Amino acid sequence: MASITAPLGQAQTTAPGLKVSDFFRWSVDHKIIGIQYMATAIFFFIVGGALAMLIRWELLTPNLDLMQNGEQYNTLFSIHATVMIFLWIIPMFAGFGNYLVPLMLGAKDMAFPWLNAFAFWLIPPAGILLLLGWFVGPAQAGWTSYPPLSTLYSGDGQTLWAMSLHLLGISSILGAINFIVTIKNMRPEGMGYWQMPLFVWAILATSIIVVLATPFLAGALTLLILDRVAGTSFFNPANGGDALLWQNVFWFYSHPAVYIMVLPGMGIISEILSIHARKPIFGYRAIALSSMAIALVGFTVWAHHMFTSLTPELRIPFMVTSMIIAVPTGIKVFSWLGTLWGGKIRFTSAMLFGLGFLSMFVIGGISGVMLGSVPVDIHLHDTYFVVSHLHFVLYGGSVFAIFGGIYHWFPKMFGRRLNERLGKLHFALTYLGFFFTFFPQHIAGLQGMPRRVAVYAPEFQQINMIISIASFVLGIATFVLIYNIIVTLIAGKRVGANPWRALTLEWATSSPPPAYNFVGDPVPFEDPYGYGTEESVAYLDALEKRFPPPVDAEGTLTRAPQSGD
Amino acid sequence: MNSGKSQPTSNTTVLWIIGAFLALIIGGVIIAQATPLLFPPQGSAESRQIDDLFKFMLAIGGAIFLLVQGALVYSVIRFRAKPGDTSDGANIHGNATLELVWTAIPAVIVLVLTVYSYQVWVSTREAKSNEQTVYGRGARFVWSFSYDVPASAVPSDVELDKLPQNIQDAITNNSSFPITSRELHTFVGQPIKMVLDTADTLHAFWIPAMRIKQDLIAGRTTEIRFTPIQAGEFPVVCAELCGGGHGDMRAKIIVHADETEYLTWFNDQVNAVVYPPDDPVLRGQQVLASGQYPCAGCHTLTSMSWTGITGPNLNGVGDRAATVRSAATGETPEEYIHRSLYHPTEYLVPGFGPLMPQFQPEAGLPNFMPVDDNKAIVAYLCTQTSTGESACDLSNLDAIIAAAG
Repeated sequence: MASITAPLGQAQTTAPGLKVSDFFRWSVDHKIIGIQYMATAIFFFIVGGALAMLIRWELLTPNLDLMQNGEQYNTLFSIHATVMIFLWIIPMFAGFGNYLVPLMLGAKDMAFPWLNAFAFWLIPPAGILLLLGWFVGPAQAGWTSYPPLSTLYSGDGQTLWAMSLHLLGISSILGAINFIVTIKNMRPEGMGYWQMPLFVWAILATSIIVVLATPFLAGALTLLILDRVAGTSFFNPANGGDALLWQNVFWFYSHPAVYIMVLPGMGIISEILSIHARKPIFGYRAIALSSMAIALVGFTVWAHHMFTSLTPELRIPFMVTSMIIAVPTGIKVFSWLGTLWGGKIRFTSAMLFGLGFLSMFVIGGISGVMLGSVPVDIHLHDTYFVVSHLHFVLYGGSVFAIFGGIYHWFPKMFGRRLNERLGKLHFALTYLGFFFTFFPQHIAGLQGMPRRVAVYAPEFQQINMIISIASFVLGIATFVLIYNIIVTLIAGKRVGANPWRALTLEWATSSPPPAYNFVGDPVPFEDPYGYGTEESVAYLDALEKRFPPPVDAEGTLTRAPQSGD
Repeated sequence: MNSGKSQPTSNTTVLWIIGAFLALIIGGVIIAQATPLLFPPQGSAESRQIDDLFKFMLAIGGAIFLLVQGALVYSVIRFRAKPGDTSDGANIHGNATLELVWTAIPAVIVLVLTVYSYQVWVSTREAKSNEQTVYGRGARFVWSFSYDVPASAVPSDVELDKLPQNIQDAITNNSSFPITSRELHTFVGQPIKMVLDTADTLHAFWIPAMRIKQDLIAGRTTEIRFTPIQAGEFPVVCAELCGGGHGDMRAKIIVHADETEYLTWFNDQVNAVVYPPDDPVLRGQQVLASGQYPCAGCHTLTSMSWTGITGPNLNGVGDRAATVRSAATGETPEEYIHRSLYHPTEYLVPGFGPLMPQFQPEAGLPNFMPVDDNKAIVAYLCTQTSTGESACDLSNLDAIIAAAG
């Protein structure tokens, strides 16, 4: 059996010779599917981001200016949120998972390669279906789509919205089944559950949530579609239905959904911080178990989204569970700080976004605990305070983790590394643009500005102008990354198999990997985070001998930063 | 360094840790002092308790913020890899004591917050013995507030047959009838219980100054309590997406300084209703201003200070009824306006959707609008002409209505 430490010939180190057109075709190779997911998700990130720019342009003044009426504005944020949640974050993490999980497990592919491709190919038609709503009266009841507004007062685009989400939900569930089976059955010899990388733990926890929660969304969407097209009255009190039924079933999925949207990002952060600080992850088991705890407790908190509509007597139990879930999240944050403490931190773009994640996500966590208190939430519900909180955790959290993951794994996927100067520029613009876009929104909400309004009281104009201008900076920052990706794909600096000198198995093959991923069955290093030992140095040196970098390559990137980088 | 505790923690380290904790607590308390700047004025008794709870949470949150950002800043300075250093950090996997501490402390914090929040919750929900019930209704996109008037409050010299049927019945039966206003009025120290309902979609009744919010849910009534402690005018804001006019759906609460001032306003409202003006145009103006019907939510009408944009602009509607619309339908202007209130979808103006509620002349049906109110509204709208003269013949309208039976 081939072993990691034995030297190998040149064949292992050549790129598989993929063309751009290969990524537009049906393939059951998890690496191609992973990139297809990610490229599609980035496309929709730009769509959702453009809608955000229109929202912020409209909000420069208290009156309607850019939009002709309130309904048009309501469509902007409804589609913005729907796209960002279901067509950007969730598929982007599915893309990372698809690309990395088999490689991290030393496997040739996912357990169900055909199902994998099918799940991806549901996404482009679902996205088109959503955007087609534009022509028939688009969805404008928010991504939360509460009846009666969404059933009795909305155009046909609302039905298309629901059908689109059905397709995306199916895609998500099929992917999750694939991940669970792959992780359970295809770990290599020597990798028990306690030896898996934390990114794999994160995908496992996320997939369990997806499988258990998403069917409830499907149920709610089906009832909504029937009310809209078949004359039923599930949500219409005039005929015995109940508007609150939607809220309960919707949030029973959508609260766990926020953990679907953040847990993989947390997995990425665990990888990035450990590797780029050259130090074992602090509290590995605590982080792994806290992901599972969050997945479990996450099913008990949903009605904290309904503190102003739920029967008053029922609100307190949901406050209790919402407060409880802060504890496993806190454990992770402190463990990540413990990882950095005493390390040898390299300020690569990946690490910068990891640091940015820690810095911003904790603010979202604090505002989340505040919202978990019923009396305080009575004032803050449905205000810009909530908009601020959700963007701190979803952008300051998940999207920063996605950006970090892109910089970290781009070399593995394409054999080239993204330009570090542009990466630092992207980070600086993003960090500042993000903070000044969303932090002031806490204040606007506290002071009395509701959310989902095109028109607001004049006293909020100044703060809205600051927010809007900062948001334009944030929007521009994204194009620095897109530009970086494009020029790097064309002519970026080449790297070898393991530019970061990392211990997890995806780095124990060439960059990009061959179609069959590994020669023989790779043996994982005894500790995926075992930095700081002589054994790890020996293992990494042997890897570099086995996969010598191409002649014009940079070699290792985790040497400490030098001038001219 | 090894991965367990092989040496006792030195005294200096303990002092540093204690010092850091104190600095964090002090820092958190300093940050929390910003609380009054963050909130609108404290308009209610409840707002004091809620602001104090928030201040407590902000102190804790501020301390945690300083801890995390501080650890990050310290780490990026102290633990950065020096140029040329390709070595790894220490092979430390964890520290059981530390992990226990940073699990236990947050658990205690959230326990304290849960208990404190529960206490504030119970206290702010208590029913008060002298509370006054006020009815609030949300309809796309306007608020209206109703007060029960007992029959005993009606002066004895009113002319019964000039009054709407429901008020006549209330007086004869010695029960009560509602009066409606577009503004919420109360006075300092009067506990209020709002009973809320919606005419259409979900809405939410939010008074930021009072720190209270409650959704209006189709098919139910909901309640929220508060006690104002400060005189003044404060915004009432809709806080649940209800359609294109959601941002416009704002009203005012006027807290009078004392009961006398409040009763002056209240009695004026009652008198306006029980001594209705004889001039139908004035009566129409009164009906429209009361907020009984949600016209202001969708229509612009400068003479009434309405700014809605979901429906057609009503400025000059008298002229249009007399020329444009009548030419299209063959009806007289008064007939046209009268019928379009009861059958709005038959009179859709191009460019607008079928969103107007269908008012009904029979009691008990949704959107009930008695014929007398309809006639009054017609009378007023007929005067919305370039000259101010009525475009209509109201006696013709009486005849049409009588003929219809």
